[in-house]
Amino acid sequence: MKNATSRYRLEMSGISKSFGVVSVLKDVNLKVKSGEIHALLGENGAGKSTLIKILSGVHQKDAGKVILDGEEITPKNTHEGQVLGINVVYQELSLVNDLSVAENIYLHKLGASKSWMNWKELIEDAQKLLDSLDFKIDASAKVKDLSIVQKQVVEIAKAISEDTKILVLDEPTTVFDPKDVKKLFQILFRLKEQGISIIYISHHLEEIFKIADTVTVLRDGVDTGSMPISETDKDGVIRLMIGRELKDLYPKRDIKIGEVPIFQVKNLTAKETLVHDVSFIVKPGEVLGIAGLGGSGRTETAKLIFGADKKKSGVLTLEGEVINTNSPVDAAGYQIGFVSEDRKEEGVFLPLSIRRNISVTSFKSISSRLGFINVENEYKKVLGLIEKLNIKTPNSEVNVKNLSGGNQQKVALAKWLSIDSKVIFIDEPTRGVDVGAKIEIYKLINEVAKKGVGVVVISSDMPEIMGISDRILVMHEGTIYGELQKEQFSEENILRYSIGEPLKQNN
Amino acid sequence: MALTIKQQLSSPGGILKFLVKYNTIFIFILLVIFSALISDVFFTSVNLSNLLKQVSGIGIISIGMLIVILTGGIDLSVGSMVALLAVAFAILVNIFALPLAILMTIAIGFGLGSISGYLVAYQKMAPFVATLALMTIARGLSFIYSKGSPVTFTTVGGKFMSDFANNATLGIPNIAIVFFIIVICTMVMLRYNVFGRLIIAIGSNEEASRLSGIKVNKYKFLVYAISGALAATAAIIVASRTNLGSPNMGMAWELDAIAAVVIGGASLNGGKGTAINTLMGVLILGLIGNILNLLNVPSYPQQVVKGAIIIFAVLLQRFESK
Repeated sequence: MKNATSRYRLEMSGISKSFGVVSVLKDVNLKVKSGEIHALLGENGAGKSTLIKILSGVHQKDAGKVILDGEEITPKNTHEGQVLGINVVYQELSLVNDLSVAENIYLHKLGASKSWMNWKELIEDAQKLLDSLDFKIDASAKVKDLSIVQKQVVEIAKAISEDTKILVLDEPTTVFDPKDVKKLFQILFRLKEQGISIIYISHHLEEIFKIADTVTVLRDGVDTGSMPISETDKDGVIRLMIGRELKDLYPKRDIKIGEVPIFQVKNLTAKETLVHDVSFIVKPGEVLGIAGLGGSGRTETAKLIFGADKKKSGVLTLEGEVINTNSPVDAAGYQIGFVSEDRKEEGVFLPLSIRRNISVTSFKSISSRLGFINVENEYKKVLGLIEKLNIKTPNSEVNVKNLSGGNQQKVALAKWLSIDSKVIFIDEPTRGVDVGAKIEIYKLINEVAKKGVGVVVISSDMPEIMGISDRILVMHEGTIYGELQKEQFSEENILRYSIGEPLKQNN
Repeated sequence: MALTIKQQLSSPGGILKFLVKYNTIFIFILLVIFSALISDVFFTSVNLSNLLKQVSGIGIISIGMLIVILTGGIDLSVGSMVALLAVAFAILVNIFALPLAILMTIAIGFGLGSISGYLVAYQKMAPFVATLALMTIARGLSFIYSKGSPVTFTTVGGKFMSDFANNATLGIPNIAIVFFIIVICTMVMLRYNVFGRLIIAIGSNEEASRLSGIKVNKYKFLVYAISGALAATAAIIVASRTNLGSPNMGMAWELDAIAAVVIGGASLNGGKGTAINTLMGVLILGLIGNILNLLNVPSYPQQVVKGAIIIFAVLLQRFESK
């Protein structure tokens, strides 16, 4: 029976959930109106994902009630959730790489409809949907040929259909540059007008304040209440999230930056990617930021230097000597480090323990000549790093897949910090990482720089890159378009260079 | 300072976790108890020593299979390699001094494995395809060099080997001792040696390994070469047991080896598996055959039971991941 008097489309009340002895959610309430964008905030491990997974049917709640349009629902799996109109775009992409975009979008419906495929109709429908989202993606292209941004858009397209009532987006913009974020927001506003309720999870507080109507903050599995966005501000939300006053997100530092460059890149051009004529220097103790839009060649540049992609021409000079990095093995040999933006695929070994993850780069220092590992030294080294990086884990034998995103990122960093690097490239150091862990990672970057290492940070997060860099290079269409000194840092300047415009004269 | 190893072991729920983690060993123990209960002959030294002799050959190639599977690969060539290398050893031991013949056989095994390794690591061929080709080639060569019939040992060296292979030390068959030594070495290597650690890392995430500056190709190459060398070792002891090398040896052994590794809880995706559990897998497979023989179950129903046990064992392991 429908309860037409309810003000809310979705009411989750008194939700509790434990995994074994660990209580993840305690008496949590979440009420969402129709046509509302509701921000769900909290540090990693606060219980946001679990709450969403209960809503969508991945997990079953231990206690509480979920009411959708006045009727109590208990979806037992994601399919039942989808039938009820609950669609979730998870942080982890769940696309089938070898299938086309169109097939992926309609994957969950393919089995249910007819026995024979109507390719023309399928691709046309998918193309219509994609065009309506205003992103240029070919519906007949294979997913593996898409950029990570495009994949994310396909993921969103998959979740939108006529019968969607609740759309949940978990960190949808982590891979987006500002231009794409704007487009996404346009889509969300349109969906909102159609009466769809949107639950939006993000660590980007700027975004939340641009689009959300209401905000609910979770902390340690308890909700600290909901409020209209107009009644709070960024500091207020952060206070609720971490339960303490936030002094300074970007730690101050006073490091003497060396004069003589430790690392120099000259006219670097790639064989297989768009990167061309890239030249820059890194000084010891310096944090050099590389900004730019998604697809401008930032990651590709780092991979090229690290030897993971093939070079066509260019000269690399490390401490005054010309070096050749034809493979990551070479690069690692020259003590060049690289932390990938794709933590799960390229950064960590998910099924292995923290200890095995961290020690993989540092066997030289903990093993004998015949390759036998001194386990005591290994433990000492790993436990030291766990403590230093404040990785939240009961011990070093926990598998990395069981850690939160922030702690996984720290493990990926630890791998390279455990050896003495001369230059280290960190691609998106805090993607999908909560505020508390972010501060710790920034501190860590400073500590590394202090040792005289040249740190190159690639980031799409504008406040972040301005907050931690000494100097910013901005890439545009595969090459470095401009360089900004500290006093020139502004979102506008970065954006202007990113789209290939000169800075304003009076700036 | 954080937690010590001892504290980690005595964490809450430790015992239950232990049971789940070592479920292969418990299946093995249950099978032993079951066997002892239903057959009087089972716990006789003759039967047990026969059992160990029977499993040693497959056991050794299973260890090679394990390290290949740990990298996320597979080696289908090992069964045929046993045939080819048994024939090769029989020919060589009739010509050269024994130590030289042994070394040459192992070197040939290493060399043949290197071909698979080269194709997989440097030519990016799918392990299934590369080793399937090697499997056919090795079987063909074994028939060519033996001219289709078994090659018998005729020299003193051959006599020495066949004595060695059929005798026991302290009640344990010599060839089983060879097998156990290989298991122990592999255990140590996987736990405490950089080589072992790196092949597990490669199997659990090859791209992350590459970007960690690990020589992925070199290690992928090496595991197939080592698997070949272990196939040679298995071939030598199998040939020595029967005093001859035959091109019909090792038929479908690669499948038994894969089964043993999988029963031992290893993941065919790579990155997960231990030598001790593979040993258990080998013993479980051997035990099933043994007990069914003692119960006079004919060979065709035996195959059905074997398959069912594999399914059961792997289903049981799913509790581990939960």
